[in-house]
Amino acid sequence: MVCREWPEIRLDEYEGVWVAAFADDEGEEIEESSLQLIGAARELADKLGTYVGVALIGSGVRKLAEEPIYYGADRVYVVDDERLSVYYPTVWGRVLYELASKYKPEVFLIPATLRGRELAPYVANSFRTGITADLTSMDVDEKGNVVLIRPPFGGFMLAHIVTRDRRPVMGSVRPNIFPTPERDESRRGEIHEERIDIPSPKGIRLLGREPILRKEEIPIEKADVIVAGGKGIGSREGFELLRRLADLLGGVVAGSRKAVDAGWIGHDKQVGQTGKAVKPNLYIAVAISGAAQHVFGIREAKRVVAINIDPDAPIFEHADYGIVGDYREVIPALIELLESMGIGRGE
Amino acid sequence: MLRMVVGIKWVPNTTSVNIDPKTGTLIREGIPSVVNPHDLEAVEMALRLKDEYGGKVTVITMSPPSAIAGLEHVLGMGADEAILVSDRAFAGADTLATSYVLAKVIERLDYDLIIFGQETIDSSTAHVGAQVASWLDLPYIYYVTHAELRDGKLVVRRSLESANETYELDLPALISVAMHSLNPRRVKISNKLRVKFENPIRTWSNQVLGLDPDCIGLRGSPTALSKIEMVPKVPRKNEIFKGDAKEAAKWLLERLKEEGLVEVG
Repeated sequence: MVCREWPEIRLDEYEGVWVAAFADDEGEEIEESSLQLIGAARELADKLGTYVGVALIGSGVRKLAEEPIYYGADRVYVVDDERLSVYYPTVWGRVLYELASKYKPEVFLIPATLRGRELAPYVANSFRTGITADLTSMDVDEKGNVVLIRPPFGGFMLAHIVTRDRRPVMGSVRPNIFPTPERDESRRGEIHEERIDIPSPKGIRLLGREPILRKEEIPIEKADVIVAGGKGIGSREGFELLRRLADLLGGVVAGSRKAVDAGWIGHDKQVGQTGKAVKPNLYIAVAISGAAQHVFGIREAKRVVAINIDPDAPIFEHADYGIVGDYREVIPALIELLESMGIGRGE
Repeated sequence: MLRMVVGIKWVPNTTSVNIDPKTGTLIREGIPSVVNPHDLEAVEMALRLKDEYGGKVTVITMSPPSAIAGLEHVLGMGADEAILVSDRAFAGADTLATSYVLAKVIERLDYDLIIFGQETIDSSTAHVGAQVASWLDLPYIYYVTHAELRDGKLVVRRSLESANETYELDLPALISVAMHSLNPRRVKISNKLRVKFENPIRTWSNQVLGLDPDCIGLRGSPTALSKIEMVPKVPRKNEIFKGDAKEAAKWLLERLKEEGLVEVG
């Protein structure tokens, strides 16, 4: 028997791999996390022998409708409506639900930006279907079921998750888990301009919105060089030392979950399964023990350097170059040497 | 007078989880459970609102009975009452089935505001808040760092990647609290004593709730685990230097220069 709270559906009516795409705050570009997801959807759709659909909703987004096609979509469903100029999770969630209900995709993926993480479970619940958070890969099993794969626990076990009896199969994906596909302006696809009844926001009003004036700082997920500190740094001041090294190397400072929990560095700079996945050329892990959930976030780093006082720290197993020693001595020695080599001078 | 319901989860303390090197399986025995730390922030927000405006804080959790220790903890912080939602029939629930049960529990309570933590440390899905809002058809907002009442409405602030936002919510509503935004208060002895004498913990099984067995637990969960595999380790060079810091710095920079990872200016 099936739960009576779930509307009856016919599984074979559901076809296609859909992605929800969002424009940036200026409405000038589609967010990179959405483009990355289109690339991942393309791969899955090819395995299933079906199409990639993109739900593009917002105000003034019609002008961006070709973009998803250049990145791999076959069909773009646009809801461009002034009433979507303000974001409300219930309204946007409802619109995504209505749009997808009309076309019945087999798979519906939502970028796990902060808004996406807020919206995705609401959309899934509207369908009375399940959802897999933060999936890291997708596959099709021998029976033709879509399998969403996520790290469930501590980062070292991958859980394969299937969705029984309900559609769409839904998942959210964190930024930078998949690469951004090549933009190809010669690709062709269909654009459907959709009219959806936009519900008025019920019981919620936006009172104010101010852009955050971030310092001219590269976000860690885009940095080429990252110097990251862990619990062993011991203080906020310790991170200043890391910052000096990062400045010399043209990089940024990041931290492990324990460093973030201790309040030495912000959560937007947390590397790991519950933080961000990073892909620098050089990752220097300082006084980070190397918990699996942290190591999971640096899989795409080209070279990993570990500096740790404990020779048995697991991080050394995940490092290309390891230095056993006190960071309070090793980092100043590195800084001194770099300065004597003329690195960082005059920049 | 604000009637608040806070949902918390009793989770294994993942920071101490390890793998059995022989069998490659998770060692679950002996891992202490804790109240999900981000849920303590949700409790803290409720208590601050209660301090400011008066009211009542009811904490709910769906869990095996071992979670009573967690409920005692949040009652010790100052919550007024707690409900352990516990039944074998609820076991194996995914977030859809979990949110369904929690929504049905909350429906039976008088509430103005539902508060969740941002996410849990064991599965970090951040699903259940939005799903409960969907079941109960409530306005909701995530990542709240500050909340206050103005003319009977809840005004909340939150930060997204590139903007700070302020929203006004009519009550009843649901919010989740941004992790790392509040410092949960300590347990007070006087509260603990009250817990001992008054026993403000109720247990609701499915006999109380009477939910359709097809909508709860494993059967009410569309998502199912089909397989678990180990994450393959990324091959690394594993060259290690031990010794003097200056020598170590030289050793490292030579290698990084060779690979073009550090450019000499």
